[in-house]
Amino acid sequence: MLARLFAVFCLFIGSSAAQNSTALVDYDSQVRPIFAAKCFSCHSQEKRSGGLSLFAYEDVLNGGRTGGTVRPGKSADSLLMMRVSGETQPRMPLIGTPLTDSEIGLVRSWIDQGARRTPSSPPAKGKWEAPLTLEKPSVPGILWPAWSSPLDRFTSAYLKANGIAEPELVSDRVFARRVYLDVWGLLPSPKELHEFLKDRSPQKREKLVAKLLADPKNYAENWISYWNDLLRNDEGVNYHNETASRKSISNWLLTALENNLPYDQFVYKLLNPAAPTDPAGFLIGVNWRGVVSASQTPAMQAAQNTAQIFLGINLKCNSCHDSFISKWKLKDAYSLAGYFSTEEKLQLFRCDVAQDQYASPAFLYPVLNRTPPSGSVPDRRSTAAAIFTDPRNGRLSRTIVNRMWQRLFGRGIVENPDEMDGEPFSPELLDWLASDFVESRYDMKHLLATILSSRTYQMASVASQSESPKQYVFRGPEVRRVTAEEFADAIGALTGEWHVYQEPPPEPEAKKPDPANPVKPGDPPKPEQDPPFVPPKPGVYSREWRVASTSLTRALGRPIRDQVYSVRDNQPTTLQALELVNGEPLTHWLTRGSKKILGELPPEPTPVFDRPSPKKALAPFAIDISHANKIWLLVADTGSYSPEKVEAIWASAELVGKDKVTPLSSLKPLDESGLRSSTNPIVVKGANGIGVRVKTPSRLVYDISGKGYITLRGLVGFENLDAGSDINPNLRFFVFLTEPNVERLTPVLPEMPVAADKVEKSPAKIVDRLFWYTLDRAPTPEEKQTALAVLADADRKKRASADGLADLLWAILMKPEFQLIY
Amino acid sequence: MNREEKLIHARMSRRGFMGTTASATLAALAGSEPQLLRGSTPAPNATADSIIVIWMAGGMAQTETWDPKRYTPFEPGVRTDQVLSTFPAINTAVDNIKISQGLERVAKVMDRATLIRTFQAADLGFILHSRHQYHWHTGYIPPQPMAVPHLGAVVTKILGPRNDTVPPFVAIGQNLEIGAESAALKSFHTAGFLGTEYGPFLIADPADASAAVRPPAELGDARFHSRRKLYEQLLKDEPVYQYGGDFQRQSLLRSMDAADRLLTSPSAKAFDLSLEPKKSFDVYNNGRFGQACLLARRLVEAGARYIEVTTEYIPFRYWDSHESGHERAEMMKRQIDAPVAQLILDLEERGLLNRTLVVLASEFGRDAITEGKVGKEVKDQAKTPDVMTLPKHYGMHRHFTAAGSVVMFGGGTKRGFLYGKTADERPCTTIENPVPVEDLHASIYRALGIPPDYSFVFEKRPVYVTKDAKGKAIQDLFT
Repeated sequence: MLARLFAVFCLFIGSSAAQNSTALVDYDSQVRPIFAAKCFSCHSQEKRSGGLSLFAYEDVLNGGRTGGTVRPGKSADSLLMMRVSGETQPRMPLIGTPLTDSEIGLVRSWIDQGARRTPSSPPAKGKWEAPLTLEKPSVPGILWPAWSSPLDRFTSAYLKANGIAEPELVSDRVFARRVYLDVWGLLPSPKELHEFLKDRSPQKREKLVAKLLADPKNYAENWISYWNDLLRNDEGVNYHNETASRKSISNWLLTALENNLPYDQFVYKLLNPAAPTDPAGFLIGVNWRGVVSASQTPAMQAAQNTAQIFLGINLKCNSCHDSFISKWKLKDAYSLAGYFSTEEKLQLFRCDVAQDQYASPAFLYPVLNRTPPSGSVPDRRSTAAAIFTDPRNGRLSRTIVNRMWQRLFGRGIVENPDEMDGEPFSPELLDWLASDFVESRYDMKHLLATILSSRTYQMASVASQSESPKQYVFRGPEVRRVTAEEFADAIGALTGEWHVYQEPPPEPEAKKPDPANPVKPGDPPKPEQDPPFVPPKPGVYSREWRVASTSLTRALGRPIRDQVYSVRDNQPTTLQALELVNGEPLTHWLTRGSKKILGELPPEPTPVFDRPSPKKALAPFAIDISHANKIWLLVADTGSYSPEKVEAIWASAELVGKDKVTPLSSLKPLDESGLRSSTNPIVVKGANGIGVRVKTPSRLVYDISGKGYITLRGLVGFENLDAGSDINPNLRFFVFLTEPNVERLTPVLPEMPVAADKVEKSPAKIVDRLFWYTLDRAPTPEEKQTALAVLADADRKKRASADGLADLLWAILMKPEFQLIY
Repeated sequence: MNREEKLIHARMSRRGFMGTTASATLAALAGSEPQLLRGSTPAPNATADSIIVIWMAGGMAQTETWDPKRYTPFEPGVRTDQVLSTFPAINTAVDNIKISQGLERVAKVMDRATLIRTFQAADLGFILHSRHQYHWHTGYIPPQPMAVPHLGAVVTKILGPRNDTVPPFVAIGQNLEIGAESAALKSFHTAGFLGTEYGPFLIADPADASAAVRPPAELGDARFHSRRKLYEQLLKDEPVYQYGGDFQRQSLLRSMDAADRLLTSPSAKAFDLSLEPKKSFDVYNNGRFGQACLLARRLVEAGARYIEVTTEYIPFRYWDSHESGHERAEMMKRQIDAPVAQLILDLEERGLLNRTLVVLASEFGRDAITEGKVGKEVKDQAKTPDVMTLPKHYGMHRHFTAAGSVVMFGGGTKRGFLYGKTADERPCTTIENPVPVEDLHASIYRALGIPPDYSFVFEKRPVYVTKDAKGKAIQDLFT
């Protein structure tokens, strides 16, 4: 907003030249000399006391660590004036003679006249200062008929003001790919895409957005990765802290996304996890065993993370000392931490040195501050939650709106989503979206629908710009790259070959400590008995988010979530390319995937016996083998430190016939390489001395056809039950009655995240489907010819070669056209 | 092309494509990549171009290796607090340096070594190996509010690769997927905020190293090449209209080229240990670690910048002896003696030792009694009887942070030089010239020509290569 108020002063100046009463103050000849004489010794460009230089005009307007020094048109509100007048202490200059009354008057006039560069310049625009509260801006008029939604009216006004004509919108196929990926993280299937392309109804794009948002599962399983990055949530990552061990919030998070939990309630629960199913892990943070720096206690992590994630404020610097680059002080971080700490009053530590200063809970913005009703942990947390979600806290809504915009457009309305004091390219657009979001009761899907249904979102994509924020002009969504999860899930959807998620076994109940036999720290836990056996659940085909990271997904940008990740590093690198070009995980996945498409994967029979090894004793089994010709006995290693030292056994193993019992050890397996030496009887409690000693891993096959056996029975486990902690035996025993598939020993439920297509054998149809699925278009004649040549199987006319298909899949996945989202 | 396509083309080619190096990324041009800042200290002259870190993971017992004390043989009934070393000392090629029995071959090359006996790990409370390893490898103690980079990533970022046909940063011997502390290991095997371009090229098993640069077995050479050709053909067949001067597209294509170059260059042969003459191979071939040392030498010859070779950390295994320390130390010394000695001799023979810094180190030392440091003891982690009755009691089983040994060779360091003094009686604490992590790092950086206050800017703050820029290079270690 251009401030047009200025006053004309007639100044009576002692030693300076007299001013014409209507002339504007000249910065160069009148103001700057004052700064030079009285301020430069500390506020030079080199020294920058308080982060402030007064050397150049731009420096003056840029201000210092605490923000703008000069508010053009408002001398009374300008820190510069408050300092030189002594209204704000300490008075400036700190050393040397203060400004004279006439000098002060001159500077005041200059500011009130707009702090102009020269008398003929327009009034200056002050440094951007992010407001705290939210006021809904009025919506501009309609400029271009199709751009009639409020969001579009703001954008069209902005574009026009920047000399940009009404933009073309992207085609249906580009739109469909974008919006499927943005809402579901999945590519549109050819069927879905064709349906959309054929649809002639008006507002079909808005309808598609609504349809996609209405699916709770696909939506949640996409957005959970984004929130895992932001909330530092991961499974199975643990740094052995004894009192504040990392805790997953995945279940709560997934449910919250599935139910579209309103954002204010979402934040409230994270900051005040009072109920047992609430996400306590967020406030616990990431803790290592041992002593920690005062700046990284769980409460301080909570202060840093809540400020960064929900308010776009960086409190990391001022967790050790007063910030050198912003206005935040050490006390601010501790005061915020006070809402989340175990103690109510926190002693300040400056660079890990205890200070004689204490902080009580207090919020960063005094106007929103609330004192907790008591010093109890629940009261302090609920107070923090109330403060963050206070309707007057415009930063909460602006920050999340900006994050969503950044995710969908590649660059936020404020460039850095973690620094919401930055200048938005359109403050009105941001504030309107934030107000609308609040009015919708913090409905995340409403926010997404508003953006995704707009013409703005449908603009053609542009390359990302490298100009600094001052010169940035929004020209449309940036070209983005698929995330690691989108890449992986694309392979799952294309081939039907998904990862299998295995729910971890339930934690054995903690044993009560025995005072007569204290557990020494560092001792591995040694229960006297195995916990009661709970059969493992079958695996579930799963999207990438649910499984642990692999070298492939880490290379593609899935972060180690020890820190908050607002924006992923998605840039192509050599190591990443090595993984894509030469990595075993991707190669193998595509090998299996191509066979799956062709229906050529070997069958995956279910075991008739499947048991993780007990650790303190042996476990019995008895299997009906009356209809079997062969039996397969497998031992799989599931995480032993030294598999070669584990002494696995099939103890007391016997084949029971109608009137005979044959020890298994008296039969010769078809392949003996899995056996360990068998010279001595097996001596383990509960076993009868006979049995078969095997290696870990091992596979024994016995031919029992025509022998008339009915049952196979025995005990599984390992002989060296007192194995040292350096072996850490972890085994799983299987018995199969048909040839097992070593890649899929454990059963998997048949449901898939994306319904599998029927098996396709025709090369031409395969090529078409592939191109439509990955690139949203038909192959060109040249592409089709190239692809068919690769798929041609020398031995089987009219049937596709699995190797060729794997290669074709790979080549397409490597194309920038696939990896980039236009 | 239709109107939309014309529009996309116009938008894309507007920015044009500026020729950049193979490793340039969009972030670099966008200016959001961490910037390098020179510190106020002038850059020292580099005396090394490459560095090999020989990482003795698990806490290498210094009185059983490089800092032998009074020897007490095992006898049932011997008091634990009387046992300082379970091996006698042997002479080396340097008059005033004795090391532990079991390192006879290295003893012969100690006249090329600088031996530091006074490395001091930080006091971090209840000891967790991986936390100290994190500290040693990044200079920072976790948890940290930003993802700090591994020493190898820092070196690679500042100095750049030596050539574009060998990964500049290679880490050999550590399987990151096993053990209770695997997540912790992953957390520092990273380039952190420097970006994945500078991350480690991981080889868990050196015998498989050549597999890391050859196509996966199920793919095979023929298909590896034919599918690359297919990819290029598809790019040619693409409808031309969509992707004019698109920077991101170019970035992706360039990274594929860089990977290809790495995989098909003659330098990839460095990974193939079977190409080493048998006589030489046999000296190294006493196990995985030995082979890894050979691989490190070959990679330095081929142009790698930072190579780390480890005996591997798995809780309670290898150097991390919580019992039977004597037996374990004997085994470990056997593992390292010939390969380390040969590595030094080979580098010297090839004229590489002067410009290659070799650093053999561990996260802390060991003692039979003290866990931590005297005066800063921490929770015991090994049951230690007052009197040894069984062989499994014989050895150094506790984690000792007051002293540890670091052996450096080449790269401008002195020859046959001893630095630092530890007490001859228990506790064998550092009594002269302590070397904390930041000073060790500063010394390493000094050899590579990097001042200790060099910094990156991340989230608007400087991140120094030594914490708070406080590292001080120990000039005494250098000629």
